[in-house]
Amino acid sequence: MPYTYGTPEWEEAFKKVTQERIANSPRPFVLFSPEWVGEWEKKLQNDEKYKALALPNWENPIVIHLLKNPAFGVDQDIYVKMDLWHDGECKSIRYIPSTAAGDPGNFIIGGTIERWLAVSRKQLDVVKGMMQGKLKLKGDLPTIVKAVKAAVRIVETVGEVGGVYQDELTPEQIESFRKVVQDLVKEFNIT
Amino acid sequence: MAQINYSPGIEDEGGLPVMIADIIKGNLNAKPYRQNDFNALNGNIYMHAHDAEVDMTMVFEKGKLTVHGGKVGEPKVSISTDSGTLLDLANLDVKFGLPFYFDKVGLGVLKKLFVTRELKLSGLFTHPIMLTRFTKLMSCR
Repeated sequence: MPYTYGTPEWEEAFKKVTQERIANSPRPFVLFSPEWVGEWEKKLQNDEKYKALALPNWENPIVIHLLKNPAFGVDQDIYVKMDLWHDGECKSIRYIPSTAAGDPGNFIIGGTIERWLAVSRKQLDVVKGMMQGKLKLKGDLPTIVKAVKAAVRIVETVGEVGGVYQDELTPEQIESFRKVVQDLVKEFNIT
Repeated sequence: MAQINYSPGIEDEGGLPVMIADIIKGNLNAKPYRQNDFNALNGNIYMHAHDAEVDMTMVFEKGKLTVHGGKVGEPKVSISTDSGTLLDLANLDVKFGLPFYFDKVGLGVLKKLFVTRELKLSGLFTHPIMLTRFTKLMSCR
């Protein structure tokens, strides 16, 4: 029986799975794998640069949307939500179901995996990418424009966590990543 | 209610034209009193983010805006700078009904305009009222 998103049980189980995977998975982690997301959460929670740029009254989650690409082991769109709060606090970073991605107040920055890899490698500047339409931003623009430097810092941290990129994986590793994502999707009802 | 339209295909492509249109829409929703500035604008405003190699034109027709990719017609005001500075323009404060240039963001914009020339603006002296109204419309503050 999968967990129901939004319940304390879901949150507890998700945290447990992430911690277990961080402890048991070989490093470096694959970008956007659950264990990598766990590492990213730690990074953002302790990022002084982000704290310095964040607005004191910020209350909007930011969701990273990865478009599906079966060649990289991602058979469905993935949404990763950063639960952000006042003064640069990052409460959590979690995979979430698509139905929750567009909740009121959320900002969604979407792009293909290739684009996110380019962002991680600092080959694509986030603001430039949004202006070029390579990354799509959804949400109340005037709100996020006021916090654009903080938002850019968040995306920069994607590249600072380190990890193995999907285009560096062997076919076996891609299959293994696909299975991890599929299991997570099933267990946590993230569709 | 402001009438804001996209030229064909622009909305799907996203990018600068859609972002700027969304900023203006969002600002008018949050600050309806800026509708007067929107209604008064008449003419084309061109924007170019040179580092991103994207440009756009806003065609204002007294209460109606059509957003186009690229350069359209003869713009009365042209703004050319890097993508980060374009967003700084949206962070200019408005005080007493006018753009305020004497805080960190404002001084940074003035420096880029008059000292480092990273911000190129045509129409500053020929269409100052249009530029002022547009700056207010763009300001998310």
